[in-house]
Amino acid sequence: MSDYVYDLKTAPNRQVTLPITVPLPSLKTYRAEQATAAKAEEAKFQKATADFETAKAKAEVAGTELPKPPVKAAPKREVHDLVTPIPSEAKDPDLLRLVERLGEGAEEAFEQSGELVCQVAKERILEALILCREDAALRYEMLSDETATHFPASSSFAFSVVYHLTSLSRAKRLRLRILIPAGFEPESATQAYPAANWLEREVFDMLGIRFQNHPDLVRILCPDDWEDYPLRKEYPVTGWGQRDIDFRDDRSGRLERLAMEKAGNTGINLKVPKAE
Amino acid sequence: MSQKNCPTALEQILITTRVEKVMNWSRATSVWPMTFGLACCAIEMMAAGASRYDFDRFGAGIFRATPRQSDLMIVAGTVTYKMAPIIKQLYEQMPDPKWVIAMGSCAISGGPFDSYHTIQGVDKVVPVDVYITGCPPRPEALIQGFLKLQDKIMSSSLADKYKEIFEGLPR
Amino acid sequence: MFDETEYMEINMGPQHPSTHGVLRLKLKLNGETVVECRPIIGYLHRGVEKICENKTFFQGQIWTDRLDYCSAVSNNLGWAEAVEKLFGITVPRRALYLRTLLTELNRLASHLIWLATHALDIGAMTVFLYTFRERELIMDMFEAFCGARLTTTAFRIGGLYQDLPPGFEAMVRAFLAKFPACLDEYETLLTENRIWKKRTVGVAKLSAEDAIALGVTGPVLRAAGVAYDIRKAFPYAAYRELDFEVPTRTEADTYARYLVRMEEMRQSCRLVAQCLDGLPEGPIMAKLPKVLRSEVNEIYHPTEAPKGELGYYLVGEKGSLNPYRFHVRAPGFANLQALPKMVEGGLVADIIAAIGTLDVVLGEIDR
Repeated sequence: MSDYVYDLKTAPNRQVTLPITVPLPSLKTYRAEQATAAKAEEAKFQKATADFETAKAKAEVAGTELPKPPVKAAPKREVHDLVTPIPSEAKDPDLLRLVERLGEGAEEAFEQSGELVCQVAKERILEALILCREDAALRYEMLSDETATHFPASSSFAFSVVYHLTSLSRAKRLRLRILIPAGFEPESATQAYPAANWLEREVFDMLGIRFQNHPDLVRILCPDDWEDYPLRKEYPVTGWGQRDIDFRDDRSGRLERLAMEKAGNTGINLKVPKAE
Repeated sequence: MSQKNCPTALEQILITTRVEKVMNWSRATSVWPMTFGLACCAIEMMAAGASRYDFDRFGAGIFRATPRQSDLMIVAGTVTYKMAPIIKQLYEQMPDPKWVIAMGSCAISGGPFDSYHTIQGVDKVVPVDVYITGCPPRPEALIQGFLKLQDKIMSSSLADKYKEIFEGLPR
Repeated sequence: MFDETEYMEINMGPQHPSTHGVLRLKLKLNGETVVECRPIIGYLHRGVEKICENKTFFQGQIWTDRLDYCSAVSNNLGWAEAVEKLFGITVPRRALYLRTLLTELNRLASHLIWLATHALDIGAMTVFLYTFRERELIMDMFEAFCGARLTTTAFRIGGLYQDLPPGFEAMVRAFLAKFPACLDEYETLLTENRIWKKRTVGVAKLSAEDAIALGVTGPVLRAAGVAYDIRKAFPYAAYRELDFEVPTRTEADTYARYLVRMEEMRQSCRLVAQCLDGLPEGPIMAKLPKVLRSEVNEIYHPTEAPKGELGYYLVGEKGSLNPYRFHVRAPGFANLQALPKMVEGGLVADIIAAIGTLDVVLGEIDR
């Protein structure tokens, strides 16, 4: 009975399909994609024109009906109340100011869905946060949210950490973003915004990113003995089996022992693991 | 009225019944639940105890704050891995006889939370007497479940209790 | 030798009648004075973020009901608007008004629960019975609208799935005619009550600077004198077109928060009445494709839930039916972080008042 080991990690409902794309919104990537798509479209049109020319020549020789010339595909008309938001050039004075002050530290700045995004070099995030709070033209007093995303499909980084800043006096919002490889420890934002304390503990708990100079970096939601980091993409929704532990064993184990003895005498196996 | 059904003078001042029935009756009509709200269902439990539904009509209005004074644990909400040992401990602190109601689909089977940190049903932690379905169950459903529990208490036998205590069989 | 004080460490919760769920506090006391308070959360961590990442955008809404279960409609509104922002969907005006109407009714229900439990914790039992009497009327309205009392799943992405049922407007009007008098009734029980004032005036203070530094929002911040309301600062739904005031106080204590929330309830009544009066005609659902597949985008959408700023962070993957990343910025999470600041140095009995005034709901804090 005791030598029967049920391997929960190989259960079918714990198999995960990892994402194959890196959904990181970025103006540079968007432009590159658009350029590639336009080039492909142009190449297709050129080929269609060449085909048309040959077919036309053939038809003239044979004296049959002429084929239709190719037409460039018109952009799709939206019949829905849906306009897909696309990233656009940073025009907001806040973003321009931030880029100007950070210089090389600001890797990218753009606007999408009416939100301001600035991607900062991972080593300079603390400097950027302090700048956002202290600069007289920016004055982002509050850190609303800080969280991270796991990108297993990317080769150059593993996580993106985003900071959502709010300016109460100017009613504006800004998102700072850093991209970090696995094992990199960014500076803790608690030095600029004390609100980051629990938020960073949660990021550590859920994704396993450690922050430098954090006052109290321990797990916050899961128990301290929890295995692995739940919000990573390779982690299954059903977990690694902690939830299937039977808590009904009484503390002394007396009732359990009695029942097991009785069961053993009659040849009943009480401890068959639950088949998944 | 026939001669047989007519109460005698003695029967008018005496009620004859079984000890077991009196014990069960006294237990069933003064069940004190423990205030133990875990999640959403706790709000409906509060509503059941408040003005419109008035849980007190059935003798279960005195919500006790400590397990040591209560007979009934209404598990109202999702049971998580971190919470399960505490529920177990609370249950062990309650004096016998004690009952458990699993209120809502989370307490029954994990409900919509089929995830890593949710215990799939409180019956993996403590033995459950009555299950009440719903997400969350309406206060009427809680009252219905409580009436079912009263039926169960009324039909319980002292002999079972004897066996449980002296022969050490789990319930 | 005498200046070495021996501290007592006690544990409060997770099973405690006044921790509003499964909050646990580790306290270090010097006599009756709190020296250190460390909240321990996670006893209701259900993995909502992970579940929603594996469900479609349409399915995900039902888990938002169960985040802050006292105000499910506010959570639904945040989710619907966040997904609409991710896709770039424009919602018809009638749907916006109906959403605002239901959300404000929900704010009333949520504040009524707050008042009931807060007063019950401090020792005023009667208020509990009174507020639940009125709350049942609001529950009746939700039931008439969507069939559920608590977990409403009231909205759909792009609008609403049905218009108001017949008789709904009459219900709301009857409620609005009755409710201000009920609010006065609660105030006669509490506002000038000497015991209530002793337990709340000057208790659990949190200055505006500390509140902003710790990310505290909602009535707690407004009671410290900062008129920050997302309905005004970053208008969403129909709030841009409606007329209401943001009540503020400067005392920054529990009593001030009580007054702010009471005034907010009156403002919510005004908003509900305006929504009914100015309800535009027209469709209630945007024209959408049958299947919504997201583009690469990332959004953060804040809304003013009854407890404070409720933000949803969503990352969309190209061609995917479900969000790549979903994160909830729960108002209670940030507010609870300020609890040690509020209670340290005070009396241990005031912790009960502080938890009540923060209006914590562990469902959204632990997620």
